[in-house]
Amino acid sequence: MPLIMILYYIICAYIAGMLVWNFIREKKSVNDMLLYLLVMIPLVLRILRVK
Amino acid sequence: MSRVWIIKSILLLIIITLMIIAGAQLYEHRHFKLPIVAGQGVTKVAKLSDYAEGVKETVADTNVFYLEGKEKGGKMFIMANTHSNEPAAILTALIFVENALVDKGTLIIIPEFNNSAGRNTRPGDGYPLYYEIPTEWGSKKFRMGNRDASPLDQWPDPDVYVHYPDKQLLSFLDVRNTNRTWPGRPNGPLMERVTYGAMQIMREMEVDIAIDIHGAETMFPVTNCIVAPEKSMRIATMTSLTVKAREKFDNHVEPSPSGFRGLSHREIGDYSDTLPFLLEAPLPFLDQPTGPKTVKLLLDGKDPFLLSLSKKRKLFVPYDETGWPMEKRVGQHCSVILEIIRQFSRKFPERAVELRNVPRYADVVKNGVGHYYHDPDKVDKAVVHFN
Amino acid sequence: MYLRIGIILAIMVVAYSLAKWKNLSVELSMLSAAVCGGIAGAFVSTPPIGQLARHLVEGAFTYLDVILVFSTATIFMAIVRESGGVNYVVRATIKYFYNLRIIALILLMIIVLIPGALTGAGSVSLLVVGAPVALALGYLGITKRRIAAILFIVAGLSAAAPPVNIWAMILSAGTAIPYVGFELPLGIPVLILGTFTVLFLGWKRERTMDLGEVLKEMPEVPERMSWWRVILPFLIFFGLIVASRILPFSTPILGLPLEFVIAALVALLVSPKKIKILELSRDTMKRLLPLLATMVVVGMLQQVMTATGVRGLLSFAVISTPITLLFILLAVIIPVSEGVLTYGGAAIIGIPLIWFLDSIGLHATVAIAGLSLLWPLGDGLPPTALIGRLSVMVSEYKDSYWTFLRSTWLPWLIITVVGILMIKFSADLEFLVRWSI
Repeated sequence: MPLIMILYYIICAYIAGMLVWNFIREKKSVNDMLLYLLVMIPLVLRILRVK
Repeated sequence: MSRVWIIKSILLLIIITLMIIAGAQLYEHRHFKLPIVAGQGVTKVAKLSDYAEGVKETVADTNVFYLEGKEKGGKMFIMANTHSNEPAAILTALIFVENALVDKGTLIIIPEFNNSAGRNTRPGDGYPLYYEIPTEWGSKKFRMGNRDASPLDQWPDPDVYVHYPDKQLLSFLDVRNTNRTWPGRPNGPLMERVTYGAMQIMREMEVDIAIDIHGAETMFPVTNCIVAPEKSMRIATMTSLTVKAREKFDNHVEPSPSGFRGLSHREIGDYSDTLPFLLEAPLPFLDQPTGPKTVKLLLDGKDPFLLSLSKKRKLFVPYDETGWPMEKRVGQHCSVILEIIRQFSRKFPERAVELRNVPRYADVVKNGVGHYYHDPDKVDKAVVHFN
Repeated sequence: MYLRIGIILAIMVVAYSLAKWKNLSVELSMLSAAVCGGIAGAFVSTPPIGQLARHLVEGAFTYLDVILVFSTATIFMAIVRESGGVNYVVRATIKYFYNLRIIALILLMIIVLIPGALTGAGSVSLLVVGAPVALALGYLGITKRRIAAILFIVAGLSAAAPPVNIWAMILSAGTAIPYVGFELPLGIPVLILGTFTVLFLGWKRERTMDLGEVLKEMPEVPERMSWWRVILPFLIFFGLIVASRILPFSTPILGLPLEFVIAALVALLVSPKKIKILELSRDTMKRLLPLLATMVVVGMLQQVMTATGVRGLLSFAVISTPITLLFILLAVIIPVSEGVLTYGGAAIIGIPLIWFLDSIGLHATVAIAGLSLLWPLGDGLPPTALIGRLSVMVSEYKDSYWTFLRSTWLPWLIITVVGILMIKFSADLEFLVRWSI
């Protein structure tokens, strides 16, 4: 896999990591909890090279 | 467990379930193997990477079928699935691979030209994942692909695609579109390496004619036609007139614009001695104003919105209640290809290509497309090829 | 089929309205519309129920690259802001141009135009330079409402400005028209309309202060901050973009997200104070959440609308409209399509529309340029309101969203009129395309 593509997977993982961190910290808003998970869908499936 | 964590767990469970169900379907789609039965006429199966080192061990590598005649003659190259969401192309190419018998000259066929796009889906456009063509022995399942290669194979896109070598600015998406990356280069982005591989085949094998098979919207002016640059224009015109007179279907000629770069019908002619032709058959499924994007629409091309627009003269092809069935589209492609070969062979007898056992328009319309496919389970495994 | 799809559309509208009535966010209301529309469609196998999950998840990928751009660009700007760079630039702008108002306003407009023109995304303009420009406009005595309005219109125009206009590129790609000759048909109206907007909305000084007082009121910048520390990350960013244009065949394709990451790393290295990057990134992602979720959900909605035929029905309705009425309705249809579908609107409505306009003798390139002046206006309209929401965010405007949007009425109207006239008289304006080539 080319280096630049690897860097993109790292960027995805970093952003997904920040979303997971926020999801764990979220204590009040169910709305935000769901939104964090929704945004994670494409990131996680891309990292897993499913889509 | 606190209330917050119960809510979080439930949400997580829902999203993970969604991802597993969808992920499994998408994974299966990408890894689905289409069996291609090499007919008696196939003499050799090579890989695109034999001509372009840069695609070796990538998903972009694809099978190249050779059908060589006993007698020396001209060489003809057919590409399908340049856009993998235009299925009449691969269906036509497989009719040639499975049935054609070449007596003179050579036929080279790449049925899955953009192999990565064939394994990609089109987010936002709601396509089905597969379609099936009925045959006498059951049905043959095909994967519905996308116009562009998968980002799993070529990522990232540039903010704007600068065409090589003309520096024309094209949409960022076109860097993954193998009908914008011609003539390509050996070390460019993966799709440029794919088109470079095809150019190498044409240059090394001294190919006389290249045919790139496509499908286009009924609302698109460049549909139901042969697109040809100046050097191919005479043969294209003769082909168009002949099929109209003899086989009673329209297939007009469109000139290849010289200012629009990256297209096969432009760059192949400009960067090799080959005469390029791009075939477009109407594909109502791709039109924007249609009903749901179903397999039925893909195969029969019947849509009430398009019918209504046709009555308002907003389509560029004749359209009635019968729609544009796949047999008609594939049949047109078969006849137009055979006619291009005939016209070329008449003009250049020393480079003639002679082949038989390929149906023409009326045959395909009568018998159906699937009639010409062989059951991969009933033939020698050695002749079944997968990408 | 008309009735069947009409019912599905009605179910989607009801689901959205009910969700809003129950005080759910815009994003979850759109998700409700997508899920309910998909389930309704599944009753008639459009899409088959077994494919519904796949359609929703596949739709979520539609704007993945945009999500990456938004995330990396905002983290980059957050670093620049945290290092004191934003305050430093604003202080300097005010110091040198406070008494040269026209020049200051036009200069700030050009600063906003550049990133969007280079990347095709007005959001990038706002994410990269929106905050400092908003601060500078504030010190020029402009109200936050008007600042948000200026940023929204100019950022929208920046997306339409050449060399990169994504609507025009989508339309060119979809209609097989070369993406050439757009420089003048896009550049001239963008510059004129941008200048008008910034002068009209920014001319009035709501409060007058002495320069000394203003400088005293402005936030302090870290002692070690200097011009090169501010400029270097931007130079690297724009340098990478310019290099990819000037030397396209010897520069690797980095893509905007990686270019922002590289610029962010440089900004982090030259920052005069220590920045806790993990916490800053986490907070930035929290701030961006509604925007990112909108992108994901709009993709899902678009996919379900196509799979059910709703998208086709809407496209059909537009194409079937009589031509005179269509010209008038473009003022509504185009921005609304952008508001609902973002770039999807260009594909769904724009492509068949251009084919149709081309067939009645209009000039496709100029018509595309005219249409692409109208699309950015839709970025202020719900449900997505991408640029509108970003403008409000970076200008820290806190009152009603509609009040902000109302203050853009005159530039909005003029842009609409110019866009429609460009389409109507596109054949007469063909010389602009020729002169560009």
